[in-house]
Amino acid sequence: MATFQEARSFLEGEFWEKDSSMVATAAKNPSVSQQNDAYRLSRILDSDGFTALLFLFIPLLILGALKFYPVVFNLVISFTNYDLSPNFRFVGLRNYQEILTNDVYLKAIRNTLLYVVGTVPIGTFLSLFIATLLNQGIRGRLFFRTAFYLPVVTLVAATALVWRWIMNPQGGLANTALDSLGLPGLGWLTDPNTAMLSLVVITLWGGIGGNMVIFLAGLQGIPSELYEAAEIDGARAWQSFFYITIPMLSPVTLFVVVTYTIAIFRSFGLIFMLTQGGPSLSTNTLVWEVYQTAFGYLRFGLGAAISVVLLLTILLLSIPMRLFQGEDF
Amino acid sequence: MVSRSSPKLGGAFSRALTYFALATISLFMLLPFFWMVSTSLKIDAEIFTPGIKWIPSQLDWENYTYIFRDLNMEVLFRNTIFVTLIAVVAQIILCSMAGFAFARLHFRGRDVLFLAVLITMTVPFEVLVLPLFILIRRFPFAGGNDLLGNGGIGLMNSYAGIVFPHLVTVYGIFIFRQFFLGFPKELEDAARIDGASRLRIYWSLLMPNSAPVVGTMGLFAFLWAWNDLLWPVIVVKENSMKTLQAGLAIVAQNPSRWGEMMAASVIITLPVIFVFLLLQRFLVQGVATSGLKG
Repeated sequence: MATFQEARSFLEGEFWEKDSSMVATAAKNPSVSQQNDAYRLSRILDSDGFTALLFLFIPLLILGALKFYPVVFNLVISFTNYDLSPNFRFVGLRNYQEILTNDVYLKAIRNTLLYVVGTVPIGTFLSLFIATLLNQGIRGRLFFRTAFYLPVVTLVAATALVWRWIMNPQGGLANTALDSLGLPGLGWLTDPNTAMLSLVVITLWGGIGGNMVIFLAGLQGIPSELYEAAEIDGARAWQSFFYITIPMLSPVTLFVVVTYTIAIFRSFGLIFMLTQGGPSLSTNTLVWEVYQTAFGYLRFGLGAAISVVLLLTILLLSIPMRLFQGEDF
Repeated sequence: MVSRSSPKLGGAFSRALTYFALATISLFMLLPFFWMVSTSLKIDAEIFTPGIKWIPSQLDWENYTYIFRDLNMEVLFRNTIFVTLIAVVAQIILCSMAGFAFARLHFRGRDVLFLAVLITMTVPFEVLVLPLFILIRRFPFAGGNDLLGNGGIGLMNSYAGIVFPHLVTVYGIFIFRQFFLGFPKELEDAARIDGASRLRIYWSLLMPNSAPVVGTMGLFAFLWAWNDLLWPVIVVKENSMKTLQAGLAIVAQNPSRWGEMMAASVIITLPVIFVFLLLQRFLVQGVATSGLKG
């Protein structure tokens, strides 16, 4: 009989449920009742609910302070003229109005878009190109992959310093090379006309490897039978590429384009280390203006408003990816 | 003849072309590293001689001794290592705990809660720095603050302040949950029958068998904390508390001493490259499977 009960409770997933028999004996014997209390306590402590509480409390408390609180608070102070002093007041939409009328912020919007347009198409194409080359079953794959990925893990401070040195107008490698070709040197980061271009070159250098790894994973996910079939049917290499590789990779490409665009929108380190938004506001992106407006001019309300604009843009950008990837993000 | 290997571009000529393209691009990628090391080992006179001198005529370590003597590199290193270590340990413990709860426990509202956590993955850190700065500055009972956060500087200029955004990451919770979801249910059931509590299952069964995901998490946590620039720049004003990146930003203000700057760049990059080469299997895995970086 007992074995039958045990077997049944086991099947129901409640192997530990022996309460009925223990309660029955506890009525007669007080020491068993104490044991029963301890047993109940240990059951509560070992329940899914309590363990979840124990395991989630601290992580979610910190996450709340790191993610949920700032989003809400950002929105609130974006409607104020908060500047760290205790007396501040609500100013309605005035901060947002300033973003759309002040020349500095209009330039920031333009520069952010320029930065994206200069980086994302070329960067995506180059990383796909390199990934395709690396996927030809060539020798030294590991070496090449490592070489292309090294800039990604290099500290932005080191990246900024070495490129600043390379692009230094006096004695820098870039101008020396131009000079030896008989071409005039450029001002690179110090010239408003070339500063954004220089920033794009450096950003491309630092970002191609990361996207290449994603493309490489995508390429390896394409069944080789497709290529073999195409080869038997007499397809040329470029036909295979355009009619098999490109369509099969389109989800990966979408992912890369979206994450890359967001990464450019977020890019702060290079601008902070290299140009500080200058010269003459030629590289002041929105992220830079968040930092500069809040911590440079102590206009926290306005800075928060720029953050909100930036956040909304990034959320909008990530919608297509979420739609296509479904639950798989 | 049909080739059995991955897709090919065909003949020997295109093969040579492939190698040529790869070599050219990798030259462009590696050149700055080479130039960094080369410049750091040159004497000032040689740095500014006209023309390109690829290899220093004699190796000069003066730039390295200078940065350790005059730039407080030991302090910067100590701060960065300390902060990175806390970040790595905290993320492995806290993210695995949350990942365990979301993957292996059943409780009301679990999926809604997890979705809420996941949604915040889209919210980038850069747009949240203002409220976070105010939180850290007005942290109650820290740095001379009262309960309401007035009077002092809160957690600014402290390790706690620098490491705060690195304690828990959504990415970490996500990868631990994914890994724990794939853990065979039978093993857990067997442990239950042997009388193991849920705490024990987490600590003695799941964690010791999670080396791949712990490695990925540890490596990412390391890179994020070591490479962080924006946050340390905001919360640290005192030189004695600066991290390597924030400290280097000061050096960058004096852009004439290229030898020393390249030496500093080499010194701060070496640990990252070393860790990367050691653990790149985890990194590539982590990037490729989830498509996430930085």
